[in-house]
Amino acid sequence: MSNVSVSDVNNSEDWLLRVDDLSVHFHTPRGVVQAVDHVSFEVRPGETLALVGETGCGKSVTARSIMKLVPEPPGDYASGKVMLRNPATGAVIDMLAAPMDQVRATRGDRIAMIFQDPGKALNPSLTIGRQLAEVFGEHRAQMLLTNAGIDPAKAPLGSKSVASQRAGVIRRSFFNLTHRGQSRALQAAVDASVIDALSDTGIPNPRKVMSSYPHELSGGMKQRVMIAQALACDPDLLIADEPTTALDVTIQARILDLINDMQQRRGTAILYITHDLSLVRQFADRLAVMYAGRLVESGPALEVLRSPQHPYTQGLLAAIPRAGTPRGQLAAIAGSVPQLIDPPPQCHFSSRCSFSAQACTNHVPGLIPLPVAREVACLRFTDAASLGVNQEQMPSHVDLIEVESAEAVSS
Amino acid sequence: MTMTSENVTISSESQHPRKLRSRASSVRWARRREVMREVLRNPLTVIGVVIITLFLLMAAMAPLLTEANQPDPYQSPRDWANIDAAPGVEGHVLGTDSTGGDVLYGIIWGSRLSLQLSLTVVISTLIIGTFVGSVAAMRGGRIDNFLMRVVDVFLAIPELIFALAIAAILGPSFRNIILALAVVFWVKYARIIRGEIIRVKQTDYVAAARVVGDSTWNVYRKDVLPNAVTPLVVQATLDMGNVVLIGAALSYIGLAQAGLTEWGAMVSAGQSGILAGQWWVSTFAGVAILLWALAFNLVGDGLRDALDPKTEGR
Amino acid sequence: MQVRQYLIRRLALLPLIMLGVSIIVFTLTRFTGSPVGIYATPDMTPDELAALEERYRLDEPIPVQYAYWLWGLLRGDLGWSGVSVAPVTDVIGLKLAATLELALFAALVAIVGGIALGTIAGVRRNKAPDHAARFFSILGASTPTFWFGLLLLIPFYLWLDWFPIGRSTPEIFDTIAHPTGLYTVDSVVSLNPTAMWDSIRHIILPAVVLGFGAMAIIVRMMRSSMVETMSEEYVDAARAKGLPEKLVIKRHARRNALVPTATVIGLSFGFLLQGAVAVELIFRWPGLGQWVTSAILSGDQATIMAYVLITSLIFMLINLTVDIAYAYLDRRVVLGS
Repeated sequence: MSNVSVSDVNNSEDWLLRVDDLSVHFHTPRGVVQAVDHVSFEVRPGETLALVGETGCGKSVTARSIMKLVPEPPGDYASGKVMLRNPATGAVIDMLAAPMDQVRATRGDRIAMIFQDPGKALNPSLTIGRQLAEVFGEHRAQMLLTNAGIDPAKAPLGSKSVASQRAGVIRRSFFNLTHRGQSRALQAAVDASVIDALSDTGIPNPRKVMSSYPHELSGGMKQRVMIAQALACDPDLLIADEPTTALDVTIQARILDLINDMQQRRGTAILYITHDLSLVRQFADRLAVMYAGRLVESGPALEVLRSPQHPYTQGLLAAIPRAGTPRGQLAAIAGSVPQLIDPPPQCHFSSRCSFSAQACTNHVPGLIPLPVAREVACLRFTDAASLGVNQEQMPSHVDLIEVESAEAVSS
Repeated sequence: MTMTSENVTISSESQHPRKLRSRASSVRWARRREVMREVLRNPLTVIGVVIITLFLLMAAMAPLLTEANQPDPYQSPRDWANIDAAPGVEGHVLGTDSTGGDVLYGIIWGSRLSLQLSLTVVISTLIIGTFVGSVAAMRGGRIDNFLMRVVDVFLAIPELIFALAIAAILGPSFRNIILALAVVFWVKYARIIRGEIIRVKQTDYVAAARVVGDSTWNVYRKDVLPNAVTPLVVQATLDMGNVVLIGAALSYIGLAQAGLTEWGAMVSAGQSGILAGQWWVSTFAGVAILLWALAFNLVGDGLRDALDPKTEGR
Repeated sequence: MQVRQYLIRRLALLPLIMLGVSIIVFTLTRFTGSPVGIYATPDMTPDELAALEERYRLDEPIPVQYAYWLWGLLRGDLGWSGVSVAPVTDVIGLKLAATLELALFAALVAIVGGIALGTIAGVRRNKAPDHAARFFSILGASTPTFWFGLLLLIPFYLWLDWFPIGRSTPEIFDTIAHPTGLYTVDSVVSLNPTAMWDSIRHIILPAVVLGFGAMAIIVRMMRSSMVETMSEEYVDAARAKGLPEKLVIKRHARRNALVPTATVIGLSFGFLLQGAVAVELIFRWPGLGQWVTSAILSGDQATIMAYVLITSLIFMLINLTVDIAYAYLDRRVVLGS
């Protein structure tokens, strides 16, 4: 948990990331898939936001859009902005509109990402040290040169690209031969940074790990390495895409604690992409729920968990098997996720929702703000008049639901 | 019904080999139909099929297309009045070579030779290779070891070089080229089928068949062979093209009889003319070889892509 | 260490397989004519021929003959080459050097070209460069090498006279020392620009012709390999670190895509060895291929047999090297089937 108080929200200018009306489409041979549909949310500095939903709901695509990582054919940023704000200077950059070199400068430096399967997210043919060195080289080349005692202004030819890890084997060897002393100093500087980053995550034997290949390490160790790599340049925002799904249960807890610990020390904001509600309960400040490409509910994590407002969220929480649930009674949500190719303009959940009414099949519910600092996208909270629709067509109106136990509602 | 033997327990009717086999077989046939459809959807493969069909027609109808030369139809009729004629001259659509042999005649009758060569070699090597590979894999142990060492030795000698040596020793003739290629090519199939058998041996339904007491031959026929067919078919298709390529190279070097209407020999015969500007003999003959190999490569590749589980059912 | 065990096992198998090859070769020599054929020189008297027969125990049963033949082989007696009018062992070194030089340049063309084209095709999947590369690769695999050589000779030698036939211009060739037997290398070593240019001019065309077919196979494998690696998560992870796309492609995708391509590169050496026969014939390149083709035409058994033995040995050594390199590149590979 971070130290940001949950109550001062919404109208402050102190935000870090603002996703504004983001839509991402995929052009497939079968049609255009609307994977993310007009999603908006915000992350404040140092805060932990959990983006939750089932597989295929668009949360991963949303996460990748933040760094503009979605491959552009077949992907397409159909609308919206992803705005990253510099807390110190107040400068804002729209990741989707900015030129690529600016986007790349942000990636790894101000926003970093850790991936679900560390075994797959690390290059098998490079040593750990090399892969970490890449991050430092790309974003901290000046610092490395200075640490090696080389004046960046007067740096000899080739040293800059060696420092930034962009030089190939031939150029590096050439530099090593012609500037023996400096190349050694540079390498030492790189190694020092890498070792620092590794030991910061509690890795016991950083030198050995540095010269190891990914397949020589255990799953938990690999994930630590990923975390070290991501936090190497002290980013403002860390995106963790299902960081524990591929790990043993015993390791999961340790990794999450590690991330939490690093966050406490550095004040990094974290965006967790997950379907693990226990993670949310333990670590998230705020929670946002996605369904079929849309944001359906958001608010302070514990509040949402305690009293979910959206029928989908309620169903999700009810479906969690609990100790004491009688055998053979898993409360699943009947029905399945709709196809997202040219979907009709309606609430995507309406076919499975026990409250749905005619208006739900004709209108896309917008996000309605609720107290306190919460939002829901459901017509139950919407005024019939604002839609221009008769009251009979609307689901029965509610203000704020106090749900005693989440098991109360399911179809 | 429960049977236990050698750690394999068949605990229900649905795991009886007969049921498993018929299920596997119907799945296989459905897949084959789907594969055929998928193969024909690829335009390149269709082109390959068209070219092959044209060649087959050419070979089959050779005596109808041009009059067979006597006494040996595989020697081009010599038009001594029109040696080194350019294409289009006097009834020689593709020109003549330096002994007056008609190039078009050579191409047409050469297709017969190519067909004879590729079919003979591929079919015989399929049979021999499958036999040897099957014996090796089914018997296992010492026999397998020995046979695989033999295969290794054969594979140590590059194909063309091996065939070259054999054909050279036996004497220059088209027959010997066929023989030489057969001796060289069988090892590929032995390896393929041995690999397939070993793979299939480890599957459940073979274990089930054993439990029920099925004879080795039965298991082989009904379980192993149908599945091994796939890589064999792909390799055989590709080899139909490769054999002609290598065979042409051998005739080019001079290992076929003089004046034979074999495409490789024609390229060789026409090459001295090139310096004098007579490009047509070598060029057309070479194009024929290229088209033949191209067609079989296209079809073989198409088959391989369609049958590859990774690219299936896109 | 796994690699070492594997290396030892393969090296141990090598002499056994060569033994098998020698049996095949020996069997072939017994197929025709006079068994003494490979040792006889044209000027021998009947007495000398009889002496030869006795020396090689040709009246003994076949296995014994084989033993003596093999023993002779191991002592360096490969018989008499009719076409070169000299003992095989005297000539084979030179021929080998010439073919090796050609094969190396062809391999360079094939590997560099193949990897470059395959990478582009894989990165720009299903777009124009990809279709062109795949078409080119199927074409390359279907083109008869000898014909392709003729095809290129026409414009470049006949019409434009850019590239000469043969390996060198004798006058220039004789002006430099030949420590390695490789004309190109020797000309660089002796720092002689005229010779360097001469050697390059002669080797370009045959190297391109020879490398063309091999390049086709490499392009195809590299392309499919790149397509696979480009969709791996670590490539995306590299982008997420802010690395420029070119670096991502080179260091993250391509480096891993090279691993399966290594086996194909090894296979292509076999292709080069075989293609050399026709190419040397056409371009009058004084290597093993040209040597054996003249041997065929004049029935020179000793040369043919020596040719088979040495090409097999080279082929196997190449395969072994490639397997070791592959094991080194892909550290997760479990060695041995």
